[in-house]
Amino acid sequence: MATLSIKGVRKSFGAVEVLKTIDIELEDGGFLVLLGPSGCGKSTLLSIIAGLEPSSGGDVIIGERNVNDVHPKDRNIAMVFQSYALYPTMPVRRNIGFGLEMRKVPAAERDAAVQRAAELLQIEHLLDRKPGQLSGGQRQRVAMGRAIVRDPDLFLFDEPLSNLDAKLRVEMRTEIKRLHDRLGTSIVYVTHDQIEAMTLGTKVAVMKGGVIQQIADPQTIYEKPANMFVAGFIGSPTMNFLSGTLERSGGTIVLRHGEALLALPGLEQDVGAHIGKSVVAGIRPETFHPGEGQGTLTGTVDVVEPTGPDTMVILSIGGQLLTARLGSRDRPKLGDTMTLAVDTAAINLFDPDTGDRI
Amino acid sequence: MSRGRAMAALPPPRSTWDAINPLRLLGELSETRYWMYLLLLPSALLITAIVLFPTVYGFQLSFTEMRLNRPAGNGAFVGLKHYQRMLADPIFWLSLRNTAVWVTFSIVIEFVVGLVAALALNRNLPGGKILAVLILVPYFLPNVVAGNMWALMLDSRVGVINDILVRIGLLHEYKAWFADPNTAMATAIFVEAWHSFPFFTLLIMAGLKGIPADLYKAADIDGAGAFAQLRLITLPMLRTIIAAAVILRVIGLVNSPDLLLILTQGGPGRSTQVLSLYAFQNAYSDFNFGYAGALSVVMFVLLMLFAWAYIRLSKVNQD
Repeated sequence: MATLSIKGVRKSFGAVEVLKTIDIELEDGGFLVLLGPSGCGKSTLLSIIAGLEPSSGGDVIIGERNVNDVHPKDRNIAMVFQSYALYPTMPVRRNIGFGLEMRKVPAAERDAAVQRAAELLQIEHLLDRKPGQLSGGQRQRVAMGRAIVRDPDLFLFDEPLSNLDAKLRVEMRTEIKRLHDRLGTSIVYVTHDQIEAMTLGTKVAVMKGGVIQQIADPQTIYEKPANMFVAGFIGSPTMNFLSGTLERSGGTIVLRHGEALLALPGLEQDVGAHIGKSVVAGIRPETFHPGEGQGTLTGTVDVVEPTGPDTMVILSIGGQLLTARLGSRDRPKLGDTMTLAVDTAAINLFDPDTGDRI
Repeated sequence: MSRGRAMAALPPPRSTWDAINPLRLLGELSETRYWMYLLLLPSALLITAIVLFPTVYGFQLSFTEMRLNRPAGNGAFVGLKHYQRMLADPIFWLSLRNTAVWVTFSIVIEFVVGLVAALALNRNLPGGKILAVLILVPYFLPNVVAGNMWALMLDSRVGVINDILVRIGLLHEYKAWFADPNTAMATAIFVEAWHSFPFFTLLIMAGLKGIPADLYKAADIDGAGAFAQLRLITLPMLRTIIAAAVILRVIGLVNSPDLLLILTQGGPGRSTQVLSLYAFQNAYSDFNFGYAGALSVVMFVLLMLFAWAYIRLSKVNQD
């Protein structure tokens, strides 16, 4: 187990700067998720941590050791790849023990370690098969076995669940969380799946264009996104953005959107300097409830999408479409006028010019 | 079942003409299992005409007396006469041994040089594409051109190679490389390897492109060095391609006498006499097609045995 410090790491491919001064601190035993859309630089950052890609500047420190010039094999890390990267010509047993074999660990000790890892992942019966004879989920387990058998300081996961079907992905996600709880080893995990990020990470770094937009615990990322990109990237359905002007009305702050007025009592943000200015209110779909409340919005029902446990209702409010996640029994008719109460304490206000949270 | 349904689904003929319309009948045939045989028919006929018939004729020839310069008795069945003669023919045994040397050394050198070139080109270094084209150039040259070119370059009077070797002090005087029994075979193998190593480069490069980069990253993290990665990842992953390339090259080397025909004509003495050349000379110098046929049949059987044994030993079918 070890801490991980990334200090001012940069990476350029020619004139293209894919990572711009990345700073991250991960505590011993922490689970850091690098989250972002394709091309945001998260996999490049993971490759730099692994030593598979040289950085253009900055330091990577694992434990107390600066590993900038240390070969991947000497960093005491283990990595699970999206493609699993199992050696196709070797049986599972040798695949798992390959790292130990290369480190000249005696055969008996190696076999015992492989057996322990196989038992932990419940793949003892697969040890003599070749990767081509395994299903996607089984290959995933073997890849994890190969990582844990070496008892590394740091696990690196590069989108390990992307190639699995939806059901298996959920199962393996739970498996990874259980493994982390049991082993306590620090993990850096790359994904573009926000659910994986929210469920697994103790710390989530949301990236875009080679820049960390926000790094915090999952709850903070969800409830207090640093900017509109983070707010829109996390959550499904995505956060609604309602633009309007902030006004003060009888001691209460109000958002005016055309004819509609949304009172914002209980707002956590200090918005005094923004009165009379344009803002964007970020409203999560689940903060809507049918009926009246301290803050309410009224609109016309545009689309109704029952999902089973919930009903997604898309309302047109002053020409702008907002999605509300309502109960499964709330089934308004198309064209109805509907009034929804909003949990205004959960609203985030953003500066429309910078996109940053006010 | 499904085919039966498909047939039943076809609309019935609407008129007498429709009932005998060849396109309609063809359409109906395409829904049956006989369609497969019909599609295979053209290639089967072609194979019969250009592969099967000559092969069978070659076998037949080996049991026949066929000497064009002695027409009497030509075409007579002679049983195993040619094979019996072969067993007692010292030139056959010498040719067999020379063939083994010629093929083994050529293949080993071509494979090693081809592999190294492919690994180097696969690194995507600057200028790699131009180098790849340059490396492939020898293989594009016909054997006749390559043979004559090297014969001239190695010539004992005007050869540029001799000139260079003398100038840098490796030789005291010009050497007739193909006139010395000690150097003729080695020199011919060198020319052959130069000419054909790009074949291995080409195939191995194609194979290397198919090996996922993640495997090497995983191996890097697992602590496998460059040689271990070559031995434990690259070569096993290329096993099928290498097996195919080796078999194709062995067939080419055993069957084609052209390069040796140009460079040495089997000499000096019989130091570079190989089976294909011996068969060729029997057929077109001595006009003894019966004996040449028997030699060809032996080569055919040896190649079949080699291919079978090699595929088994290289475990190509196991993955």
